[in-house]
Amino acid sequence: MQMKPYFIIHKLRNMKYYHKNIIAIILSSLVVFSSCKVEPINDPNNPGLGPISANPTLGEIQNLVTGIESGMRDNINFYLDDAGVIGREFYRFSTSDPRFTSDLLGKGTAVLDNNTFYITNPFAARYRVVKNANILLDGLTHTTATITDAQRKVGKAYANTIKAHELLMVLNLEYDNGIRVDVSNPDALGPFLTRAQSTDEIANLLNTAYTDLSANAAAIFPFSTTLFSNTAGEFAKFNRALAARVAVYKSDWNGALTALTNSFFNLNGDLNAGAFYYFSSAGGDQLNPMFFPPNSSGEARVAQPSFITNADPGDTRLSKTPLRASSTTQDGLTSNYDFFVYKTNIDKIPIIRNEELLLIYAEAKTQLGGASNFTDAITAINKIRNAASLANYSGVVSQAALIDEMLKQRRYSLYGEGHRWIDMRRYNRLNTLPIDRAGDDIWVQFPRPANE
Amino acid sequence: MRKETKFLTLLFALMLPACLFAQIVINGRVTESKTNNPLEGATVLVKGTTNSTQTGADGKFTISVKNLQVKLVISYVGYLSQTVDASTNIAVSLSVDNTNLGEVVVTGLATSVKRANLANAVASVSAKDLVGTTVQSTVDGALYGKFTGANISANSGAPGGGISVKLRGITSLVANSQPLFIVDGVYYDNSSINAGLNVVSKAAGQGSILFQDDPSNRVADLDPQDIDHLEILKGASAAAIYGSRAAGGVVIITTKRGKTGKPRIEIDHSIGMQMQLHKLGQREWDDTKVQAAFGASGLAYYTANGKKIYNYEKELYGNNGLMNNTRLSVSGGNERTTYYAGFTRKDDEGIVKKTGYRKTSFRLNLTQKVTEFLDLAVNANYVESEANRGYFNNDNTSTTLGVSFVSTPSWANLYPDANGNYPNNPFAPSNFIQTRDLITNKEKVNRTLLGGNATWKVFTKDKQDLKIIARGGIDYYTLNTIAIFPQELQFEKDGNGTNGVSIYGTTITRNSNYSFIAVHEFRPNSMLNFRTQAGITEENVDINNVVNTATQLIGTQTNVNQAGSISVAQLRTLQKDRGFFVQEEFNYNDIAIITAGLRGDKSSRNGDANKLYYYPKLSGAFNIHQLPSWSSGKISQLKIRAAYGQSGNFAPFGAIYTPLVPVVFNGSTGSLIGLTEGNNLLGPEKQSELETGVDVGVLHNRITLEFTYYTKKVDDLLLNVQIPTSTGFSFAWKNVASIRNKGVEIGLNAVPIKTKDLKWTSQVNFWKNTAKVTKLDVPAFNTGAFGATLGTYRIQEGKSPTQIVGIAGPGDKTDPESGLGVFGDAEPDFQLSFLENLTYKNWEFNVLLHWKKGGRNINLSTLLSDIFGTSPDYDKKSLDPTGALANGPYRLNALGTTAKPWVEDASYVRIREIGLSYHLPKVWFKNIADVKVGFSGRNLFNWFKYNSYDPEVSNFGTNAISSNVEVTPFPSAKSFNFNINVNF
Repeated sequence: MQMKPYFIIHKLRNMKYYHKNIIAIILSSLVVFSSCKVEPINDPNNPGLGPISANPTLGEIQNLVTGIESGMRDNINFYLDDAGVIGREFYRFSTSDPRFTSDLLGKGTAVLDNNTFYITNPFAARYRVVKNANILLDGLTHTTATITDAQRKVGKAYANTIKAHELLMVLNLEYDNGIRVDVSNPDALGPFLTRAQSTDEIANLLNTAYTDLSANAAAIFPFSTTLFSNTAGEFAKFNRALAARVAVYKSDWNGALTALTNSFFNLNGDLNAGAFYYFSSAGGDQLNPMFFPPNSSGEARVAQPSFITNADPGDTRLSKTPLRASSTTQDGLTSNYDFFVYKTNIDKIPIIRNEELLLIYAEAKTQLGGASNFTDAITAINKIRNAASLANYSGVVSQAALIDEMLKQRRYSLYGEGHRWIDMRRYNRLNTLPIDRAGDDIWVQFPRPANE
Repeated sequence: MRKETKFLTLLFALMLPACLFAQIVINGRVTESKTNNPLEGATVLVKGTTNSTQTGADGKFTISVKNLQVKLVISYVGYLSQTVDASTNIAVSLSVDNTNLGEVVVTGLATSVKRANLANAVASVSAKDLVGTTVQSTVDGALYGKFTGANISANSGAPGGGISVKLRGITSLVANSQPLFIVDGVYYDNSSINAGLNVVSKAAGQGSILFQDDPSNRVADLDPQDIDHLEILKGASAAAIYGSRAAGGVVIITTKRGKTGKPRIEIDHSIGMQMQLHKLGQREWDDTKVQAAFGASGLAYYTANGKKIYNYEKELYGNNGLMNNTRLSVSGGNERTTYYAGFTRKDDEGIVKKTGYRKTSFRLNLTQKVTEFLDLAVNANYVESEANRGYFNNDNTSTTLGVSFVSTPSWANLYPDANGNYPNNPFAPSNFIQTRDLITNKEKVNRTLLGGNATWKVFTKDKQDLKIIARGGIDYYTLNTIAIFPQELQFEKDGNGTNGVSIYGTTITRNSNYSFIAVHEFRPNSMLNFRTQAGITEENVDINNVVNTATQLIGTQTNVNQAGSISVAQLRTLQKDRGFFVQEEFNYNDIAIITAGLRGDKSSRNGDANKLYYYPKLSGAFNIHQLPSWSSGKISQLKIRAAYGQSGNFAPFGAIYTPLVPVVFNGSTGSLIGLTEGNNLLGPEKQSELETGVDVGVLHNRITLEFTYYTKKVDDLLLNVQIPTSTGFSFAWKNVASIRNKGVEIGLNAVPIKTKDLKWTSQVNFWKNTAKVTKLDVPAFNTGAFGATLGTYRIQEGKSPTQIVGIAGPGDKTDPESGLGVFGDAEPDFQLSFLENLTYKNWEFNVLLHWKKGGRNINLSTLLSDIFGTSPDYDKKSLDPTGALANGPYRLNALGTTAKPWVEDASYVRIREIGLSYHLPKVWFKNIADVKVGFSGRNLFNWFKYNSYDPEVSNFGTNAISSNVEVTPFPSAKSFNFNINVNF
């Protein structure tokens, strides 16, 4: 038979019988199908963002707060390694990642990358906490749980204090690149502000929060916090301590002193009093990421040798850098001393403590100048020196000399807590930091993460 | 004439039962052309009807026809069909089909098509091709190089599988890119489930968020020797009928069935050995080098230990793993019932001591003809397996065997003392000999697969018939992952770790699928055939994964409650899919075959669970040689074909949700916003594929050529897009990209020699795919691997999705837009394979040669070994163009400047399989048994320049983009086997 199209069409037309069958089959299957409804499945694994910000229970509010305080620790080691390595406080040796000793120290032609863990991880972790704080703000606004207005206000003040701290941590890394402060809507992020604007916004957040905290000083948070206190008036002291730090970063010396007055600053108090990141070996909890056992090889933090050689004889703060059983070398860097600020893997890491406040006091007084201020500054410095088993300050009493002394005490007192690099940058002294290998660089700031 | 028949039928019907139909009886006999032996089980069909019968043991058949003006079609699997004019006495001899044109290819949910009539280049792999040459460990691993269009790669050499299969290029950037496996109608789960080793390795969390535990994938549970044949639908044009799960292609597996006749008993045993595929050697040391790499303390150690050198490559990777595979199958049946029972016991040792793979599989397939109009089939499979996989791949704690191996110089003594106490490794946080001897990393699986199929022939008439098929299946398994890191390990004791870790994971998977399908066939005359089918489908997924991680272990106890600290993580995956499909096939005398179909799917995985997504298809094949006017003597087959279809792919589970994740802090629990912002508007990724081709056969199809060209476009590709982290999220799910794959596939089959004693068949496959990102709604971004310093992938419009970029030094080719160096592409330039079979009398020789040309890997094993000065080629001078620097310093010098030294050509040529077997003369066994003995090997010969164990590697498992990255993996193995096979 020949292929004749009309033949096929003719045949097809005569297929009523056939068509009926097809239609019956298709229709019946569609009828059966249309009765199949697929029930949407809610996330079987986690609470969802929508329900929590719309109307959280008190329990869920507590969860958000715990989430915030846990999240504040996330990647804190990268922040401290960034500041500590660039500030030439210690070396971070890593057998699995060479970039701690190449990029961070500017080895040879290596530069800081804008898409590598040392900036992306701490940057993201801080903003993640900001996000949780924003969810907490939303939740506190909308919750129908029984809380007083005062509690609502101080709860929000707590959230804003945390936001300010986290943003300051980012700004410390980004510096002149500035940061975003308004990030409440992921689809419409606020602009990057200049460094000055960013610092001001952070100060504003702290101040607004402080207003509510001090106005409702007796109020108890509608949740419990590990940061200082559950009472608004007490928590305000933590808020002011942060405000004092921000003030010195702005060179606002009077502002710093005012903030100190309302903070937990105590010239005669425990230098280690303050607010902390906590760690534990409980299941699911985090261990102190800054801890390595002494004499570690491969993965280790070891002191930059000048920390030991530049110390005053007898300074007990050198217990932070004990002598190793043998020296260790990696990537052309050698040290005989361990970084041993934290003695166990569950030691707490300070957020801010009295020792820093004393030094802020000394700094502000020194900067304001005048004999009586210098005396006050020396009083504070001597508290620090005596605590380290050093004799009273006996050097020249001049602004320049006291600044040098204050910076030195900051170096030893706040060793490894993320200050040295920032202090040297504030005082334009980055070029005085030691260079370990020819061609190494000292970075001023981190590049803005590529994804921003 | 039609009226006449009707009248006669009526007349005769009235005369019943006194009288039977006046029919003509045809007697005949079917034989095998070469041997003249009778062919039992050949099908004799009256053309254009369903009137058929089968030949008996003597090859004879009887069939009644109304008149002799009909044609009979005689067919037998593996033989060329013949069509003969009817006469009362017929003798037909069938000859072996050198091609596979006559075979029936399963392509739809309920129907199959003769290969000669296919509009798609559907690949088929027979049992012989799959397991005929050598012993296979896993089904996916057995597919390498055996058909066109696939990129198959072992993730590592760890025993128990772990293989990535990509059909026709990249089909997804982040979602599932592996094909859907369907075994006898049951959706077969192919998950890769991590053992939770990250708590020790910390591999995820620093440079990369992806887990790098190197798990196996669960298709490994299927016994390759149970498979009768499998078909691979490579793209949407063939797989549209599988809808929203088919974007990665579909592998349809049909297991063996019993055949009518005497019981057949097959016993098979093979014993073999596997060993490291490619040895690298170790760096040679002297005082200067020791001093340079490990300082004064290193030199002191070296001298104190008498400058002794240990062969750690041999110690760690030098185990000659014994491999045992025992197989027994019994099959048979009568006209109503057939059965097939298969039993396999496999026990392979790995090339690293204390690793290995054991599997026991039992299968029972039954078919039962209940009545003339109802057929039932049941398939049951139970598998128990255990894989000890060692501890390899990337880490950030220098504890894996691989990383500590490269960070340890060969002069450090790691051996235990006489009392069995292992020394601490002075140069790395882990003593890998201790780790190897003391840890456990095991996957244990118990899996049951049940499938049932009922076919109801509603009516069968002369010109039409209707069947309703109900089919269901359950895939149920429990996977236990057991990882134990005892506290005496160097990296667990003395405050170095968590004083021991015991990780016990349980995954219970219960998947089910059901379908009801109606198939109507209509044959208005002997030239025309219409086949209509419609059906509804239902698939359910329920995976419940619980991982218990215990640290601070109490003494040597490993139970998770014998610990100071326990954490539990649970992850559930739930999914419900409902779909329907309709399909119409039209066949005009095997000349023109046209198929049109539509599938509609809805799923709880989409943002809107009740929105229907439609997947249409349309295809046509035109057999020019079947035209009556065709008379070109030399060309025996000429077909042109074209097919178009669409399919989908779900977003990864959870993508529609924005979760808060749990945290533990200071004795209480809390919620922290997740890293990924969900998207409750998500729909599936959509793939559309157009495939065109031409098939040519010459010299009575002794030589056939299949040429295919395809364009596969994937739209609405989901990306876990990195978003500004100042949002609080790091990622968000968005349908933002399109990719286009284009490719050519050429298959050449030939029988160059065919004499009475000697036969040579040859199959040559060539395939090539190129991919391009055609749309990207987000800025170009880097993804995968470990950042630009060490080489990373970059998704960029106009470029291949698997391009490898990195920071660029002087002289590197850079992309003007990003300023990044462009160092190549993970996608191979082309692949070529030769599958040769030579039989001479009782001898049979098979060889499978596979050439992958091009494609690059990011090799970070080299980087790590360079940093510790242990690279075998550290002192060789072959890389520096100026000749000034040795390789180690040259590569290290580049660190932070250019990523080039770590992006390497991963081309290879290898003899994947080779086998020689001999059929012992049957008379030795009084003709009762057919005994075959043989020697075979896998990957015995390899040629590559890649500077590590094997260019076929993936640190990130079956990940769509981020494969082709190497960080100190479990090295690949080669193996040989002695086989004996007895057939009764």
